[in-house]
Amino acid sequence: MIRMPRVVVWAALLLGWEVFARLTADGFVIAAPTEIAQYVWRNTGLLWRATGVTGWVALQGFVWGNLAGVMLALAAVLIPRAERGLLTLALLAFCLPLVATGPILRVLYGPGQGPQVTLAALSVVYTTFLSVLVGLRAVPQSWLDLARSYGRGPVTLLALVRLPAALPYLVAGLQIAAPAAFLGAMVGEFTGAERGLGVLTVRALRGLDLPATWAVALLAAALSMAAFAGIGALGRRLSLAPPEILLAAPDDARGRAGASIQGIAAVAVALAVWQGAMDAFDLPRFFARRPGDVWDYLVTAPEAGAHRANLLAALGETLTVALPGYGAGLLLGAGLAALLTLAPPLAALVLPVSVALRSIPIIATAPLIVWALGRGAAGSITVVAVMIFFPTLVACLHGLARAPRPLMDLFDSYDAGPLRRLWGVQLPAMLPAFFASARMAVPAAILAVTTAEWLATGRGIGALMATVASTSDYAMLWSAIAVIGLAALATHAGVAALERAVLRRTSPEQLAG
Amino acid sequence: MTDPRALRLEGVAKRFGDGAGAIQAVAPCDVAIARGTTTALVGPSGCGKSTLLRMIAGLEAPTDGGILFGGETPDTLRRRAGLAMAFQDAALLPWLRLRGNVALGRKLARRVPDAAADDALIRLVGLAGFERRRPAELSGGMRQRAAIARALAGDPDLLLLDEPFGAVDELTRERLNAELAPLWDARGTTTLLVTHSVIEAVRLSDRVLVFSPRPARVVADIAVPLARPRHSSAALADLCEAVRAALRG
Ligand SMILES: Nc1ncnc2c1ncn2[C@@H]1O[C@H](COP(=O)(O)OP(=O)(O)OP(=O)(O)O)[C@@H](O)[C@H]1O
Ligand SMILES: [Mg+2]
Repeated sequence: MIRMPRVVVWAALLLGWEVFARLTADGFVIAAPTEIAQYVWRNTGLLWRATGVTGWVALQGFVWGNLAGVMLALAAVLIPRAERGLLTLALLAFCLPLVATGPILRVLYGPGQGPQVTLAALSVVYTTFLSVLVGLRAVPQSWLDLARSYGRGPVTLLALVRLPAALPYLVAGLQIAAPAAFLGAMVGEFTGAERGLGVLTVRALRGLDLPATWAVALLAAALSMAAFAGIGALGRRLSLAPPEILLAAPDDARGRAGASIQGIAAVAVALAVWQGAMDAFDLPRFFARRPGDVWDYLVTAPEAGAHRANLLAALGETLTVALPGYGAGLLLGAGLAALLTLAPPLAALVLPVSVALRSIPIIATAPLIVWALGRGAAGSITVVAVMIFFPTLVACLHGLARAPRPLMDLFDSYDAGPLRRLWGVQLPAMLPAFFASARMAVPAAILAVTTAEWLATGRGIGALMATVASTSDYAMLWSAIAVIGLAALATHAGVAALERAVLRRTSPEQLAG
Repeated sequence: MTDPRALRLEGVAKRFGDGAGAIQAVAPCDVAIARGTTTALVGPSGCGKSTLLRMIAGLEAPTDGGILFGGETPDTLRRRAGLAMAFQDAALLPWLRLRGNVALGRKLARRVPDAAADDALIRLVGLAGFERRRPAELSGGMRQRAAIARALAGDPDLLLLDEPFGAVDELTRERLNAELAPLWDARGTTTLLVTHSVIEAVRLSDRVLVFSPRPARVVADIAVPLARPRHSSAALADLCEAVRAALRG
């Protein structure tokens, strides 16, 4: 094969893009590189300022959210009794529909960056909490025994054993958190801010300005990838071994009582936190609705039936898009990962690319996808599927790579062939990673579908929330948040239950952690 | 034996789980082990030797009976870093270099750091030159030797070794036997050594306890009244044969 200089390859790609964009100009989907460059050239100052604003918001959210996540994880390890409650709290932050929370935070904070920073922080708490918790726990029994055999307590154990063991997990968690914080910041800006890349996106969409939409999406993608790569490089600098299992089920061995009890507890905690926060800050009832108000609005008020019908219709519309997208993203991600192991050189090629693509804030590209595929269901389903596809692919590739070497050798020694090996060794090894990403994908799917609806399609619960936010119909907004949060918690609990049932048979050691 | 400084196990038993699925790992067991001696524990795989050792280390609570070493319970002994254990799987921390792992024994035991002494221990277990390597760069046997060095670094009164030479080749094993035994004899350390090698048990110890298949019961208690260093001899071979006979039951 002739080796072409990189520059030539890139030039050819750009040229192809340009030609394709020009040819499909009528389709109004793909902006040509020259158009994008022109836009960037003319608006350098604007883009620069917007990047500064969003970057600063994301950074603040990143710091606060990760601090909270690490603190929660430390508390969970030092006070094992509190673990269940802390886990629920972090999960709640994760399942909160960011799109709907934005407008409420806006009223709460007034003008300024408060809402964006809060959303950015909220979108990283859970993943960091979980990675650090798993890291603090990913300690073989014998290391714990070692410290105990010298009569040393939990503090020594934490300082000498658990913290160093958790460091690679922290770095991996921070890597995931960087694009997530960026995403949270942009979603915050979508739902009403004065400045920032999210504002530019909304403006470009309203003005049907294709090059601008592309330019902002590319910029957001590049920034996220840079942050992702930067933290990765830092980890390598510290010569940390990449973690064994990330985002594994943390405490399911004790979860005998079943997912339903945990789910009910989560709802109870959610209601208590909600009521408590509203009362503690003595927020005006006009917009700071309490659980009781939502109950009135949906159940006991005279027009409750109409409210319910309105909300459930929108939810139904959203679910018919979210569920197929969720399933498709998971299956395609896992399927491609499995296929790739049959061709290891290809897998080695795809992994870094998909790790990079995973770090793109897909939301920023959602408008492009919706434009490309139309405002019907196909566009939104694709947005959801893409949002889930890359993390699942990466997680599954990692899981497959962790198939125990001796078992692989055993199968090879019988010349079992790649398919039998895939079925007998690699797929079971992949399952924990698959289920972990299936769990994490639930809120991601909701975020993707509601954002697409809010920004582009004008259907479903996302659009409903956009409407009621602009008409200050706070009762409906709170009801939407409650219903979506509940749906997310329920789905999450369902996936976790399925995960336990399957892993109990295929890899019980993952549950014992 | 009435020496109050001895290690005494009185009716010590261990059962895992309860109900129908319970596993009796250690049958009620009475043993007294004189201070400053080396005792080898041998028995079939899975019979409960590690469990017994873990109970003496205070890592596992007996379901019955009591353990005292010089009048102290395992827990108080542990708290003043009076014991050290080398684990079957070495349990080295992967982010520390060999030197750091050995120093950790001193650190965990709250002793003052002493790099020279650590290096001497590393030399003793034949790992000189590997001080700056990480565990992943060492072989299984090298890791086990590092674990022994770490256990010795804390200068314990009671040394518990769980198959410390399991992954070490025969020749290195013999050399280690020859070099380590005088070391803990000289320090007056009371040593319990779990091993699957009958010859090693007889060579290293003052006494061999032979355990039955699970639940572990002492089926033979064989004194080894031989002078050291112990080279191959007819008396040694006879003792080995006695241990083997006990193991066969
Ligand atoms: N934590 C535990 N829970 C339940 N059963 C256990 C536990 N630890 C050990 N056992 C059981 O107790 C028995 C004794 O185990 P132990 O590890 O003490 O054996 P061992 O004599 O050290 O074996 P080996 O020579 O193979 O190391 C085994 O049957 C084992 O299955
Ligand atoms: Mg054992």
